[in-house]
Amino acid sequence: MPLDDVILTATNVSKTFGKKNKTVEALREVSFSVARNELCILLGPSGCGKSTLLNIVAGLEDPTGGGVCLEGKRIHGPSRERGMVFQSYTSFPWLTVFENVEYGMKLNGVPKDERKERAEKFIDLVHLTRFRDAYPKTLSGGMKQRVAIARTLANEPDILLMDEPFGALDAETRWHMQEMLLEIVETTHTTILLVTHDIQEAIFLADKIVFLSANPGRLKTVLELDFKKGKDLKSKEDLIALPGYLECEREITALMRAEAGKSKDDY
Amino acid sequence: MTGTVSNSTSPAGMPKPTPQPNAPAPRRRFFEFKKDIPASWSVILGIAVWACFFGLWEFAVWQQWANAILLPGPGKVLGALYTMFADNGFLSDVLISVWRVLFSFGLACAVAIPLGILMGTFRTVEAFFSPFVSAWRYLPAPSFIPLLLMWFGAGDTQKLALLFIGVIWFLITLISDHVKAVPADLIRTSVTLGGSRWQVLRTVVVPASLPNITIAMRQMLAVSWTYLVIAEITAADAGIGAVMMRAKRFLHVDEIMAGILVIGVLGLLFDFLLRQVYRFAFPYLEGQN
Repeated sequence: MPLDDVILTATNVSKTFGKKNKTVEALREVSFSVARNELCILLGPSGCGKSTLLNIVAGLEDPTGGGVCLEGKRIHGPSRERGMVFQSYTSFPWLTVFENVEYGMKLNGVPKDERKERAEKFIDLVHLTRFRDAYPKTLSGGMKQRVAIARTLANEPDILLMDEPFGALDAETRWHMQEMLLEIVETTHTTILLVTHDIQEAIFLADKIVFLSANPGRLKTVLELDFKKGKDLKSKEDLIALPGYLECEREITALMRAEAGKSKDDY
Repeated sequence: MTGTVSNSTSPAGMPKPTPQPNAPAPRRRFFEFKKDIPASWSVILGIAVWACFFGLWEFAVWQQWANAILLPGPGKVLGALYTMFADNGFLSDVLISVWRVLFSFGLACAVAIPLGILMGTFRTVEAFFSPFVSAWRYLPAPSFIPLLLMWFGAGDTQKLALLFIGVIWFLITLISDHVKAVPADLIRTSVTLGGSRWQVLRTVVVPASLPNITIAMRQMLAVSWTYLVIAEITAADAGIGAVMMRAKRFLHVDEIMAGILVIGVLGLLFDFLLRQVYRFAFPYLEGQN
């Protein structure tokens, strides 16, 4: 990968919680990078610190060692360049769908006409056109997540961070959301860093999987999903039918199992 | 279908239970665990409890369970209420009381809402004010009456001060707790969209906690009425409480009861008004409360 194509680099990121003699080491010297327009997945067993790592990239937490650079510049604190979608529903209940999507642009002083145009574009993109003026209370969980995605994308971040965005949804809704995310990537070419513990989700979405091991969280391996390269995946079925898929799933499951095996009785 | 998954729905030979076309509606029992009741039942039962109350009251008067001077009947109380409003200028006393409650409560809110929001948002502000506020909360407001009387005399200032002290500490605590309960992910969403501290406060913390702040105000307004009566029956020459104390001197129990009635009605009215405010200000919550 040519060097100038890298948008985000994490270098030796460490994070220790607590103080004095009661400390928990969440991350130990994790380094990885994300290329422009890439969909990079942070995958690993629970307790591997993947969400902590994402929070550090977002600037919501400070690393105790190492650092993260976006476009070659060291990050300090949260900013609109690194918009984040959370697992919990974060659409503001007092704003309509349109106002929610417009919200970030309003914070950043985008003029009204442009706000309207961009908000409508992204509401269409997440298939919520009919619900433009609805309050979040009337929406399903999947729709609320789509509002959050549209709101973050409309704000034009350099990289979209997603923390188990579909974790709270039922299986069927999750498929639709994953397929929609790929659709969005295709039209907007957004760079995405997404945390999940769902192996199939990771394989379906990822250009690249950064696999972390647990206790403390360390970089285990980076998987480039070669069997998917150049294939146009529209649905889960396409993926499962693809030669190489099963091998890939088996490989990652084995990695996951090896990690879980370290603490067999801790589930 | 590749046929690898066998279809196992609708096993043969299992007749569906046919619904009875003219089955009688199940009998509704009066005592039923956690079952909703028809709206008409609620209305009837709600009226019934008051009918029982007034019935018992009338009955007690008729049976002369107590001295007729000490226990006038409901009709006599309503009569006294009419005379008070029509001939004795009771309305001006009611207005004075209402003004005292609203003015002191307004002042308390003007301090408690911003302070509570800041305390709930920033740990530093909380660490500074919390020990102070908590301590004051445990001092009963009426214990300040002698002091307030010496400082401000028996005039309006003393009453406003008592009402203010009576609600402010609880109001601050309630509001800061509600603000603390604003989901952290809403705030984190805003900062990752580029929200500055002031923007997060204005566009997330305040709107997210406003419905609960309104509820806290509704609760504390009721407490404010309690302190009003305490203030007015200790020392006052005008106001509902003062009228009741004067009535006591002349053994006008019906007027005392009329006063209680008016306070009750006013309390209900303000509660209703704040509930309407809640409904109109937060339409997006409709059906949640």
